[in-house]
Amino acid sequence: MFGEGLLTGMGVTWKHFWGKKETFCYPEEKLPMTERFRGGHLVLDHKKCIACSLCSLACPNQAIKLKIVPDAKKKRHMQSYVHLVGRCLYCNLCVEACNMHALSWDKNYAISSWHKEEMEDELVTAEGLAYFHEVMEKAKAEAEAEAKVAAEKAEAEKTGGDA
Amino acid sequence: MDILNMMMGQGVVSTLADQLHNLFMLLFDNAVVAGFLMKCVGIGAILGIISVAAIVFTYGERKVCAFMQVRIGPNRVGGRFGLLQPIADMLKLMSKEDIIPQGCDRVVWALGPMLLFVPTALIYAFFPFDNGVALADVNVGIFLMLAISSQAVLPFLISGYASNSKYAFIGGMRTVAQMLSYEAPMVFSLLGVVMLSGSMRMSDIVNAQSEQLWFILMQPIAFVVFVISATAETNRVPFDLVEGEAEIVAGPFAEYSGMRWALFFLAEYANLLSVSILTTVFFLGGWNGPFLPGVVWFGLKVLAMVFVFMWFRWTFPRTRIDQMLAFSWKILLPLALVNVLFTGVGIYARQWM
Repeated sequence: MFGEGLLTGMGVTWKHFWGKKETFCYPEEKLPMTERFRGGHLVLDHKKCIACSLCSLACPNQAIKLKIVPDAKKKRHMQSYVHLVGRCLYCNLCVEACNMHALSWDKNYAISSWHKEEMEDELVTAEGLAYFHEVMEKAKAEAEAEAKVAAEKAEAEKTGGDA
Repeated sequence: MDILNMMMGQGVVSTLADQLHNLFMLLFDNAVVAGFLMKCVGIGAILGIISVAAIVFTYGERKVCAFMQVRIGPNRVGGRFGLLQPIADMLKLMSKEDIIPQGCDRVVWALGPMLLFVPTALIYAFFPFDNGVALADVNVGIFLMLAISSQAVLPFLISGYASNSKYAFIGGMRTVAQMLSYEAPMVFSLLGVVMLSGSMRMSDIVNAQSEQLWFILMQPIAFVVFVISATAETNRVPFDLVEGEAEIVAGPFAEYSGMRWALFFLAEYANLLSVSILTTVFFLGGWNGPFLPGVVWFGLKVLAMVFVFMWFRWTFPRTRIDQMLAFSWKILLPLALVNVLFTGVGIYARQWM
């Protein structure tokens, strides 16, 4: 009565006028996704990965194509890890299968593309590839050094045996 | 020191006007020609104020509306704050097709929006923007202002009638009912102000407020009645029955498009500005205020009043036509009359003190 409700309403709008706004300016600002959000591209931590290919085996749709190369010491390394985004049903089984916690989602939901070729996502980055080569070289060098040592040892044994 | 004198003594605008007048005298050496040119400059300035106000208020209205609805409003055109939004709106309106409805009374129909702008712009002549800055500071200022502004009813009615549309016609009829009903309490609420200041000249009313208190403190009831009836006079929410979108599409504007519609829009914002100016002049002490020049004080008060009217608009729901008319005749008018009575008694009592 006597405009009391009107004043209450004006109080409400006054508070909202100065209060925090709900709008996000979408392309510039993005809402942070929740902890368990599944979506976007997979991210591979190339230092944690042991190339066991459990993720690929866990995938119900065969959406993960791996190229695993053994190094000179017979240890397996990931050279290429292709995530076929079009086949993926975002079941999260690959991430759960990973014992080393090397797989995760990048939580980027804006991944639509023009061509189907763009839907093959290579997870091994340039950095990861460099790491791969570095590890391969190192293993090769170590294997060669070991072979050399073994050869020398064998030689010594041979000559020692002769003596 | 010169600048300080200018700001304290005569006011920025009138000093500027004096210098311009001197320049015209030098150029033409003829008082009549110089006076005529000065009037032209004044008219140009007022039209400039109206158009700038329309641009600023469209932006302001969008922002105020958005903020009150927990949004952020225009944020794309012209940078992060959407500063060029009114320009985009204007370009959109100008590039629209001019649709003339079938079977309308074409001459009257085209005349409507133009005629509406005339009384709206005309009353700006009487407004004192600063000490001594008014295009025509006549001694019956309030009377003339009310007489002219009440002419704004007719263009609404004729554009509603000439559109040959039932919604437009209902809108036009509603305008007449609404604007005539709210004219009465508005006039009677101003009567208290006139009684206190003893003059109908607008600059005298402002001066009376610098001698006495501001009239918002001496005439609070009149202030409330005036603000409510001013909202109704400008056809803004909660009294926007003229263009009640949910009921009658857009009332008299329904059949107009493009620039013709933009003229209605312009008149609406010019009305909003003039009503805010009137509130400032009659109740908020006009250009009076410490430290800052008069024009700045005047502008600040006017903008505050514009914000209040926008605040009303985005807070209240629309009233029903019968509720609105009943409110005018049964509540506002008696209140205004009682206010006149008490003001009279007060003035009489003060003579004997």
